[in-house]
Amino acid sequence: MNNYHFGRGWARLAPYLLLLPGFLFYLVIMLGPAIATGFYSFTDASGIQGAKVNWIGLENYREFLFMGQASRDNYAALVRTLIFCFFVTTIQFSLGLLLALLVNQRLRGVNIFRTIFFMPVILGAVIQGLIWSLFLYPLGGPLATILGLFGIRSEFLGGQPAEAMAWVIFVQIWANLGITMMIFIAGLQTIPGDLYESARIDGATGWQAFRNVTWPLLTPSVNTNLLLNIIGSLQAWQLFLVLIGYRNGTQVLGYLIFAQGFGQTSGSVTSAFRQGYAAAASIVLFFLVLVIGLPVQYFLQQRERRILG
Amino acid sequence: MSTLTTGETASPPTRRAAARRIAWARIGAYVLLSLFAIVYVGPLMMLVITSLKSMPEFMKSATALPTSLRFENFVEAWEKANFLRYLTNTLIYTVSATAIYVVTAVFVAFPISRGYVRGAGWLLTLYIIALFLPVALIPQFQLMLNLGLYNNPVGYVMLFLVNPIGIVILVNYIKTLPLELDEAAAMDGCGYLRFVTSIVFPLIQPAIATIAVLHAIGIWNELILPTIYLTNKDYYPITRGMIVFQGVYGSNWPTLAAAVLIMTLPMLVLFLVLQRYIVSGLTAGAVKG
Repeated sequence: MNNYHFGRGWARLAPYLLLLPGFLFYLVIMLGPAIATGFYSFTDASGIQGAKVNWIGLENYREFLFMGQASRDNYAALVRTLIFCFFVTTIQFSLGLLLALLVNQRLRGVNIFRTIFFMPVILGAVIQGLIWSLFLYPLGGPLATILGLFGIRSEFLGGQPAEAMAWVIFVQIWANLGITMMIFIAGLQTIPGDLYESARIDGATGWQAFRNVTWPLLTPSVNTNLLLNIIGSLQAWQLFLVLIGYRNGTQVLGYLIFAQGFGQTSGSVTSAFRQGYAAAASIVLFFLVLVIGLPVQYFLQQRERRILG
Repeated sequence: MSTLTTGETASPPTRRAAARRIAWARIGAYVLLSLFAIVYVGPLMMLVITSLKSMPEFMKSATALPTSLRFENFVEAWEKANFLRYLTNTLIYTVSATAIYVVTAVFVAFPISRGYVRGAGWLLTLYIIALFLPVALIPQFQLMLNLGLYNNPVGYVMLFLVNPIGIVILVNYIKTLPLELDEAAAMDGCGYLRFVTSIVFPLIQPAIATIAVLHAIGIWNELILPTIYLTNKDYYPITRGMIVFQGVYGSNWPTLAAAVLIMTLPMLVLFLVLQRYIVSGLTAGAVKG
């Protein structure tokens, strides 16, 4: 506080005043609305301009969690969200690590591979979705043709819900593997090379060097990746929208929030949306993120303290 | 990993065995990488092939190579959809929101990093917990609606003035600037505003480039927010325009593929030019943070 050198009195206010616009944006556009989601979950807000918003207590939660077929569908969506999160996190994490180890070697051309694997991140969900819709075109598309050679026929994204889900998981991993890989590469590059040198002199095999040097020293990027992957995949749903749309048996919580709050395809204000209900669903998802994210965060921090001191 | 250079201690036979092992490991690595690369490049190749075909050709065989190179699909896609308008809109949204975000973000990150404002630690925590926050879509929508900013380009741009990860990256980067810089500048009578604009900004350019690129990619590719907030076709960004185009030409894959390529090319070029900033930014923000 007393290390401020740029004047006293009124001049001392300069950093506060200049910080204000950016911080206000954060407050008004993100933090405030995020907190207000809790408030809206107790109302019957509809999203119609000028319509009265009534306080209805826990009604949205009662309906979401306990009322008839709809609540059973909601639980199914919740379970699906967890399944999606599990597969995306584990596979993306392992493959990301594998790719990072491969392209971090002194091999010719690794930069090209790196660029290729990161490319989908730049393209965004719309193009990712269209690219794979074409590749998975069931009427003689590339994959249909290849599988056809083995006598396998599949509808891919238009097939059974479980199969469609599996393909969305695949595309989700394909699309974001590059981020995981890059974070691992960044971590690998902080590991000093002489550690490997001494491990080699001590006669360590490749696996032993990985087990005792790479893996423990990679802890910061392991933590970052695990947390980003878990929370990211719990909240992800854009590829569901682009690849299969809002289809029974494939909804996840994030998509459910959007569909209830804003209609399934358009954002027209004329029809009433169930925004209070959607807010309640957002809070359910929020708790899911906390219930999984916080223990993982705690465990990772404990582990980091144990390993890196 | 200079594995081959320091083998003086090993006797010749073991050294040769080690070299052979390394050669095999190298081949294995290339094979694995190539397999992955096929999964990444293959779908793109399919897109290019399809965009050069006619619809009857595609119906006959979706995977066959085109018999002749025809670029009619690109002309058709360009003429049928209002892509010039959509691209212009996206460009305006991306540039204006990114510019405002970057400038305001530096003025947030610098005093937090230096401890020049009271409660700097708390402020940083507020930005870090953003990852865990509940989905803010509903109240955000109510706010914009009641401010009369629904279906309004200015309101739409306002949605993109925030990005907490960028703040964290900046704070970490600014920590690497020596404190003596501040002292010396103040001693010479340089004010706070001038110090940040004429000394800090140029010095943290790599971090600024990173957060600008990451933020711009997010805006450029955003699909959900335009779906929610923009109903007027004249305001559509390219992503929304593309989805509408897909709705109309969904079964005409050759034209659709051409449209996707039209939309993809600017991003690919930009990425190839700017990719080093993304890598360095992830290093600075994600791993050390």
